[in-house]
Amino acid sequence: MTVKVRFFARFRELLGTDILVEKKGTPVVLALVKEIAQKKKDGYDAIFDEKGNFHEFVIVMRNGKRLEPAETATVNVADGDEIAVFPPVAGG
Amino acid sequence: MIAIQHEDVDIGRLISEAKLPGTGAVVLFDGVVRDDDIREMELEAYEEVALKELEKIAGDAKKLHNLFHVDIIHRIGRLSVGENILIIVVSAGHRPEAYAGSRYIIEEIKKGVPIWKKELRKEGDRWVPGEHPHDAGKPA
Repeated sequence: MTVKVRFFARFRELLGTDILVEKKGTPVVLALVKEIAQKKKDGYDAIFDEKGNFHEFVIVMRNGKRLEPAETATVNVADGDEIAVFPPVAGG
Repeated sequence: MIAIQHEDVDIGRLISEAKLPGTGAVVLFDGVVRDDDIREMELEAYEEVALKELEKIAGDAKKLHNLFHVDIIHRIGRLSVGENILIIVVSAGHRPEAYAGSRYIIEEIKKGVPIWKKELRKEGDRWVPGEHPHDAGKPA
C-alpha cells in the first residue's frame, strides 16, 4: 500500500512534503502522520501535543476532505490515499 | 474565472467582462501586499483543494446573492509590497447584492481555503497566523 503525505506552510518547512509511504498494513491517519513526524522533533512538536494527539489547531485532510479530530484516530488509510496536514489557513 | 496562479491579471478586462446584460453594479475587491515593514510576501496553496473550494464559494455566492458573474483570482509565489494578492470581481443587478456577494466571498476564503502567507522580514521570516479556529471552513 502506498500513501502520499503532504505537509503545508510551517509544517512543510519542518517535515518536508509529498512523502510517499509504503506500508504493509492500513494504519489510522493519526498513527501514520505520527510515524513520519517523529523523525524530526521540531516537526512533531508543531503538530502533536504532549498526549500524542493533533494540536487543536491542526487541520487534517484525507483525499481533499477534512477529517474531524476524532476521526484521525479511527479512519484507516487506504492504498492511493493522499493525507494533507496543515496549520490554520491565512489566505486572502 | 476562478484561478490560483503566479501571474497578475488585467483587472480592467475582468470588470468589462463582468458587465453582463442587466448589470447595474460591479464590485472589485483587490487585496494587496501591505507595507508592514516587510521585504516581500510568499504565498503557498494546497492548489487542487483550494481551487475546488474557490469554485464552490463562487457558486454559493451567485446563488445566495443573485450575482451575474464572479471572478476570483488568488495569487501564489513571491510578491512585493503593493502587488495584488487576491482579486474578486462580482456583478449584479443592484449594489446591495454586489457588495454583499463580494463580502461573502472574501469572508469565506478567510475561513477555510487552504492558502498561507509568509512575511519575509529583515529580522526573520514569519508565517501569518490563521484567523479562524479549527472548525472554521468545514463543509456544511
